Amino acid sequence: MSSMLFLNLRFLRDISGISLSWHRRFLRWPFVLVAGKKDLIDLPEVNEEDLEEQFVRGSGPGGQATNKTSNCVVLKHIPTGIVVKCHQTRSVTHNRKLAREILRGKLEVEYNGEESELLRRKRESIQEKREKRRKVNENIERKRRFKEILNTDGDKKC
Amino acid sequence: MTSKSIWFFSQIIKRHGGASQLRSFVRCSSCAAEGAVVPPLHSSITAEQAVKLWTQYFTLQGISEPLLSSQYIIAHALGRKTLDAVDRRRLRDPLTDRERDKVWKLCSKRLTSMPVQYVIEEWDFRDLTLKMTPPVFIPRPETEELVGLVLEDLRLMLGESYGTDLRCLEVGCGSGAVSLSLLHDIPHLRVLALDQSQAAVCLTLENACRLGLQDRLEVQHLDVMGDADTILNKCGPIHFLVSNPPYLLSKDMQSLQTEILQFEDHAALDGGSDGLSVIRSILALASQLLIERGRVYLEVAPCHPPIIQQLIEERMPELLYLETRCDLTNRPRFCILQRKGKDD
Repeated sequence: MSSMLFLNLRFLRDISGISLSWHRRFLRWPFVLVAGKKDLIDLPEVNEEDLEEQFVRGSGPGGQATNKTSNCVVLKHIPTGIVVKCHQTRSVTHNRKLAREILRGKLEVEYNGEESELLRRKRESIQEKREKRRKVNENIERKRRFKEILNTDGDKKC
Repeated sequence: MTSKSIWFFSQIIKRHGGASQLRSFVRCSSCAAEGAVVPPLHSSITAEQAVKLWTQYFTLQGISEPLLSSQYIIAHALGRKTLDAVDRRRLRDPLTDRERDKVWKLCSKRLTSMPVQYVIEEWDFRDLTLKMTPPVFIPRPETEELVGLVLEDLRLMLGESYGTDLRCLEVGCGSGAVSLSLLHDIPHLRVLALDQSQAAVCLTLENACRLGLQDRLEVQHLDVMGDADTILNKCGPIHFLVSNPPYLLSKDMQSLQTEILQFEDHAALDGGSDGLSVIRSILALASQLLIERGRVYLEVAPCHPPIIQQLIEERMPELLYLETRCDLTNRPRFCILQRKGKDD
């Protein structure tokens, strides 16, 4: 079903807080948002035939006869053996969609190895955070030294 | 309270609060009423600790899904749908008095085996968040698939924008999950929803208003088995009928889990000795209300599809059995039927 390959961008917008123009919803590109980033990465498409999906519903007959809150989706990509689990939401439909998106992210890393765009962005983001923290600490240190100087000057005057 | 419980709690309190709390706990439990089952309120506890504590206590009391129950309830008390959605730092901050009281109040309800969905008074269904109140039937994940299947089928037949004006009948709307989900996804759909329970009718209407979908929905308190004539008069021709009718066999009702037996409406579950009593009435109605080639989408028990197929062939010549679909656990779960056209 092509609807299964197609990502629900409205849902993605809701979870990533980034606004997308509506027309993109109807373009069947294999792209997805990386949460927090405005650029889009080309993620590999997956064929439903390559997937094995399991639904962890707890024990029991299912349907009306069961009332459980567990709705974990386990998705296996048969060609690579990659397995993804998702129980992030209270809706099984959303968990299925999310599982596919997570899987596509893993496939991007798997296929591209060192060249992986996702890994590169992750490294960049870690670097940025380190840089930021270093600057903040430098600032604090600079202010502390300045205060020290002010105090010793004050002593001299008195 | 058993001595085992007292020992158990002393272990937890030592880990979390120390000896003074243990003493006050022992004082409390000795004057507590017979059968009191709630662990004492600690003076200070973080969300993380509360989850652990209540998971252990649910386990001790034999409540099913102890960890998940604890997580969903505490996340809800913190204003979120899941614990994942709560900020990591907030989980390690002490709960405010109000939050703590809310957690204790809600978790105590869960101790009575009340379903989590009734405890927090809401649940999600596809894109919607719906209010839940006992004893109105709580939508199951399989029914999300029923809606998915209806949408996919309609798109195949009518195109991506679902054709022009559509009219649908839902039998047994419960909390409104199916009708509201369809109304949400199909902008020009109009629905007539029926339920034999007044509570279900009220809850469906309330959920419709919360979601702003009340303009395209009509809800009636009617029983498909007893009020067939009224329904035929009120309901004009429909493009499709959808239902998750009671389909359990009467003999299987007694082995249901406590959450269901004690809190959900049995009339929403019990389909009679073969589980088909309501389904038969729905099919009879469908054959008179559907336009030509209009479809019926049903959620049923796994044993039903071949029986329904035979029933149609023998006794309902106006209907054609199209397809059986399985649910995500690979059980036969959904039946698609069609009203024959004049030339069929």
